[in-house]
Amino acid sequence: MTQYSMIIDLQKCVGCGACALACKAENNTELRNNGQTHNWADFVHITTGTFPNTKYQTLPVLCNHCSDPACAKNCPTEPKAIFKTADGITMVNNERCVGCRSCQDDCPYSMEEVLKDGAYGEYSVISYNSDNIPVHGFYRDGKELIPGCTSSGIDTARVLRATPPHRTKYDHPDYEDVREESVVEKCTFCDHRLKNGELPACVEACPSGARVFGDIDHKNSEVSKLLEKHKSFVLMPEKGTKPNVFYVRDYSVTA
Amino acid sequence: MKVRRRDFFKVTFAAGAAAAINGTSMNALAAGTPITKKSRAFGGEWMASTCQGCTTWCPVEIFVQDGRAVKVRGNPYSKQNDGKVCPRAHMALQQVYDPDRLKVPMKRTNPLKGRGVDPKFIPISWDEALNTIADEMMALRDSGEPEKLALLRGRYSYMRDVIYDVLPKVFGSPNNISHSSMCAEAEKFGVFYTEGKWEYRDYDLDNTKYLLVWGCDPVSSNRMVPATIQRLGDVLDKATVAVVDPKLNNTAAKGHEWLPVLPGTDGALALGVAHVLLTEGLWYKGFVGDFKDGKNRFVSGVKVDESLFDEKESYGLVKWWNLAVKDMPAGKAAELSGVPAEQIERVARGLGKAAPNVCVWMGPGCSMHPRGAYSSMAVHALAGLTGGVDNVGGSLQSSSIPVNKLDKKLMKTFQDEVALKHTKFKKIDQRGYLNLPAISKGKSGGGVSTNNVANGLLNKDPYEIKMIIGYMNNPVFANNGTERWEKALSAVPFTVHLSTHASEFSQFADIVLPCTTSMFEKLGYTKTKANRYATCTLLQPVVEPYWDVIDDETEFPFLISEKLKDRGFSNLYNALTTMYKDPESGRKAKNSKEFTEYALKYYTAPLWDGKKDVGGDKINGWQDMLKRGMWNSDPYQYKKQWGGKFKTVSHKFEFYSKTLKKALEGHAEKHHVDVDRVMEESNYTVRGEMAFVPHFEPPLRSGDMKEFPYMFIDYKSRLNREGRSQNSPWYYEFKHVDPGDVGWHDALKINPADGKTLGIDDGDPIRVSSIGGSVECTARLWEGIRPGTVAKSFGQGHWAYGKTASIDYNKAQARGGNNNTLIPWELERLSGSNARNGGHALVKIEKI
Repeated sequence: MTQYSMIIDLQKCVGCGACALACKAENNTELRNNGQTHNWADFVHITTGTFPNTKYQTLPVLCNHCSDPACAKNCPTEPKAIFKTADGITMVNNERCVGCRSCQDDCPYSMEEVLKDGAYGEYSVISYNSDNIPVHGFYRDGKELIPGCTSSGIDTARVLRATPPHRTKYDHPDYEDVREESVVEKCTFCDHRLKNGELPACVEACPSGARVFGDIDHKNSEVSKLLEKHKSFVLMPEKGTKPNVFYVRDYSVTA
Repeated sequence: MKVRRRDFFKVTFAAGAAAAINGTSMNALAAGTPITKKSRAFGGEWMASTCQGCTTWCPVEIFVQDGRAVKVRGNPYSKQNDGKVCPRAHMALQQVYDPDRLKVPMKRTNPLKGRGVDPKFIPISWDEALNTIADEMMALRDSGEPEKLALLRGRYSYMRDVIYDVLPKVFGSPNNISHSSMCAEAEKFGVFYTEGKWEYRDYDLDNTKYLLVWGCDPVSSNRMVPATIQRLGDVLDKATVAVVDPKLNNTAAKGHEWLPVLPGTDGALALGVAHVLLTEGLWYKGFVGDFKDGKNRFVSGVKVDESLFDEKESYGLVKWWNLAVKDMPAGKAAELSGVPAEQIERVARGLGKAAPNVCVWMGPGCSMHPRGAYSSMAVHALAGLTGGVDNVGGSLQSSSIPVNKLDKKLMKTFQDEVALKHTKFKKIDQRGYLNLPAISKGKSGGGVSTNNVANGLLNKDPYEIKMIIGYMNNPVFANNGTERWEKALSAVPFTVHLSTHASEFSQFADIVLPCTTSMFEKLGYTKTKANRYATCTLLQPVVEPYWDVIDDETEFPFLISEKLKDRGFSNLYNALTTMYKDPESGRKAKNSKEFTEYALKYYTAPLWDGKKDVGGDKINGWQDMLKRGMWNSDPYQYKKQWGGKFKTVSHKFEFYSKTLKKALEGHAEKHHVDVDRVMEESNYTVRGEMAFVPHFEPPLRSGDMKEFPYMFIDYKSRLNREGRSQNSPWYYEFKHVDPGDVGWHDALKINPADGKTLGIDDGDPIRVSSIGGSVECTARLWEGIRPGTVAKSFGQGHWAYGKTASIDYNKAQARGGNNNTLIPWELERLSGSNARNGGHALVKIEKI
């Protein structure tokens, strides 16, 4: 068996945001709208204590690719639109998804509507490309700031022949490089990259080397070794979903 | 469960209601959608360039698909970033594909200028734009006043020589004014007047045992961001990390010690640390030397006989002790700086124990304020006391990058009599005036004073400026005291702005020329250093520009030189085509694109032409250089300056600065006054010998503390691509990666205790005011900020620039507030720097 998983070394992580931005570039995710963040990788920030004994930590978050994924439980299609792949990835099939959002409802790491952000602990690993709101509206807007002199969103997309203009193109059996409206979307561990022999975009982009990816069912993998070496934790273990994203060490040495 | 009508059948089928619907289509669905698509990566190519999002100037590669830039990584050849970049490089995708980019030249049709006055821009052809500019330039030549043209430089590549040196100098103007003193010249001041280098330092993180970060957050900004991000996790295991900053920054949050200094009192804190190091005998004797008999005589408050001490690599330790250090015990330093005495002692002892592998990482926070020059010296003096200067695990200088230099001798042959005479006129920034020594590199008026250009313009002193050409800059937004700049620029008769966006500065321009973005479309090169390697890295047009844009630094001078030639002034054209011939073929450029390529080849040739072994990477010819995009030097060798090779007057590391004494006396002599008078004119309080040693100056606070009771701290967001990322939605989406910040808000961090006093809750809209101006933003109550101080990152508050950056461009309505409106106009006069730090801006906060 294969169970892909990710370890995030919080001592190495500096909370810089490169992973989440690289994810947006790789996966062409939409800008936040309508209560949906479309951030497959995001961050939660935790401040504790009082001045001058203040502690601050950043926790990178993403889909936990749980072994017992709550999101898939009530997926109403047959076969399910959300399912576990042979590699242990929790996958959304764009074709089968009917946009009912029961996954978003059931996933302990998701919210139907995100009004704030990681500064207040809010995030959602599953986002929904809303009905009747064309994706990447930023590049569909025809307004010119200075008529005749500056460009517009739609002009830029038209000239570059892509929406968004920096669209990274790829094919995958289960998902599109840009998801259409009325489907849910989330981290795929960049399966299109894995199948091409590359690491997930966030792992490759992390400048601190905090993200380690591999098969946790394989004893000699780097992830297995790291889990053996360090104490680890997962988010909301009490929900019983058996997450496959693990955190090791502390963000702050004085924590 | 919410289900779209058209998908209803999929779900009802799954729920077992199949029978009601046509069986054949059912069965097809039952098997799921047939999978025909395979996982496939589309073609593309990684192409080399340079990120100019901050001054790290990272070598990068950009993945290009169908002629579009789609993703970014570090250049794998780089020995500084090892193929990894910080968030800025990724964000740049939204900069090159910004919907609000200028696509054609434009001119203003409303002669009235001012903030909020619609310039009524209309599109014009390149020909009309260049003809108009050339006519204005010729008018200045014809009336014998070429000095009245000012060239204002912003961010640059090293192709700057062409637009910044050759253009104005051959034309006849002394007014090529850089942006340098906005950044951190006061920081360089402290290093020059101790160590003898007017430079930023490199830092040897791999070997450090104590990392003392002072007034910056090196994993977020400063000059080696990815290299530091890569190493901090390991440094935390191997060394102690202590951070001096009034707010809890990222490095402080991760580190062992946070010293939340009272803004502007860094000099006292540094002297307090020095006092502990000396009284407890913890200084590094291998660098500083020792008492001849080995007996420590540094006792608090007691003068020491200089003759008893034998110095090694340093000069003037005992003089410094007698003048300044002896009177700053930890207790007094604590009182002045707000950092507890126990912490000062603990940090000092840690430094002493780790010496000489001590890395004192100084940033602009402790130096860029009205009295910051001496804080900067005091902080850098700690690098001397601990022996970390130019040493393993310490702060380093850099290997050289053997590119060709501007051929000044050849350039001179194209300067006519008018040009030779008028380029010697005084400059519009008034550098070198009695009250503005700007003693960069020891010379009165040797450095720039960018923010004082506003005064020069307003007061027509030394004379009127009739025409400005500015590029990759936005001085009216980026300098503290924005109101002064708005007034000054409104009165300039003719302004040209070369830019990617219609920024605030463009609103005062008569002609705006659309330019390439530096990372994706421009051809040029930069020089940078980190992690012991110096690097030359190319900016390359990895994608074809999709609008009608030019390279600012090379194509503009070339194109304008053609127009000037048409009008009878051919010197500039002749200079450019002769100075920058193709080094391989010897051909002269026939157009602006060819010219740009030849100029780049001219500068970088020693790295790839194989004529001489210059060390570092071996590059086989021009095509190889373009493909790799960069050159790494050999690693910097430690202790290059030890053994009496420091470039100071004494050739030693100076605790008593003979170098500064010479510079100040030189400036005083020029104005027929004494050094005390220079100190007085430059906002400093000390008189006599104290002017030559690192010492504590009571911070200058602008405003009455009764009316404006909070000290304001400005800092740089890790998402700031300098001032150029604020029209990118990703900037706002992830703004919360700056500690204490909130996405989509411009958050002023206020300690909850202060919030309570003010009756302000978290998330409240607030107005923040100083004697300089007033802005609106959001209150964020956060324990990571020192009570009595408030902090907000620079960047937001654009009233122009784009639809995302401002709430309403047409109404000049800003999103958030510009820190530079809040921070009153002021300078650090000894270096000419902008004074934006140290809490010199006092503010009041009101709930809206």
